[in-house]
Amino acid sequence: MNKKAIFIISIAVNILLGLMFITMLPGALSSLQFEYVEQETIRPDSIRDYLEREDYGIAASLSRPIRGGADIAKENADYFILGEYAELMFLKEVFAKAGNADTVRSCEDRISAIRNEMSEYGVILDKIDQSVTNAVRESK
Amino acid sequence: MKCSSCGAEIGLTDKVCAHCGRVITENAGYRADLNFYKKDSARTKKKVRQILSENIPMVISSFVMIVLLIAVIAVLYVKGNAYSFREDAARRDSVKNYETYSVIIKDYLDAGDYTGFAAFEENHSIAEWEEPYADLWLLCDMAKEYAYLVSAVESATMFGPDARWYNPESYVRDCRSAIWDFNFEFERRLSDIDADPYRDYIYDMKAKADIIMEVYLGLDEQGREQYFASSDIQQEAYLEEVLIHE
Repeated sequence: MNKKAIFIISIAVNILLGLMFITMLPGALSSLQFEYVEQETIRPDSIRDYLEREDYGIAASLSRPIRGGADIAKENADYFILGEYAELMFLKEVFAKAGNADTVRSCEDRISAIRNEMSEYGVILDKIDQSVTNAVRESK
Repeated sequence: MKCSSCGAEIGLTDKVCAHCGRVITENAGYRADLNFYKKDSARTKKKVRQILSENIPMVISSFVMIVLLIAVIAVLYVKGNAYSFREDAARRDSVKNYETYSVIIKDYLDAGDYTGFAAFEENHSIAEWEEPYADLWLLCDMAKEYAYLVSAVESATMFGPDARWYNPESYVRDCRSAIWDFNFEFERRLSDIDADPYRDYIYDMKAKADIIMEVYLGLDEQGREQYFASSDIQQEAYLEEVLIHE
């Protein structure tokens, strides 16, 4: 193989490596910056799907990072807040029965704050309320 | 060497003696060799320069290839280890913010909000297995089991009027398994829990798990005793009855 052929091959390899580098760099940078809630298992579209399926319990548990102080992208915040509402409604019954009066009060404050903030989702919030009422079996 | 006429010291390449002016013939061989080597050296230098100039593009290309190869390997390494890099950075942050985080953790615990605590612990990559959070390890472990139980009961009980159940049996199985896991871990670690500085919170967690079973699964104290005394199949049958058929 003459020198010219080797040179042409090396240029081709360089172009290939350059393309690989340029293609992979954004992915590597964004994977360094990903937020906890952006992980595969907690994708906001999953929460939206569960809310649409009226599967409020799973939406509640998937939204839990918001209660742990995770940063949520503004465009996904509504789904997480709806899930937070569902979880607070569920836990409020437990705190009430356990006698955690202060915690019940702060749950109620947050629940009514969400009700006010998310008035456009009133129908969903009503359904979540109903789902918790139906879930309580203590008196059945 | 010395001049054969006057005896003065002369150089190997001198053509005449600087003292007596005699033309020196004895070193003619040396001078001829010197001229040959000078010309040969110049020829070699020229040849080297020519070879170098012919290969400069190849050298540059090879250098670029090495740099690109290193860059691609570095990007692959970063991509493959991004999660651990970020986790390590978050852990360092959690150690740096220990005082602030401790106050927040205490607020969660005092409120009895153990799912919130578990979420906070996970979101902030708190390494409960090392200092300064080492005393939290048992509490964190139990809070994770508790959060799993809460998630499973929520998932199995909270549905809207038009909900679509794709696989209700799996909800029931998860629910039974989460309840069993939490209670098994609690019983198994009872002696550790009694010696733990956060035992009151763990006992409160257990009390809340019992309340969840009572409120959402209809199992009061007597019901729980019967439930835990029954086999896995009977437990699953009970949960199916309560969660699916009712």
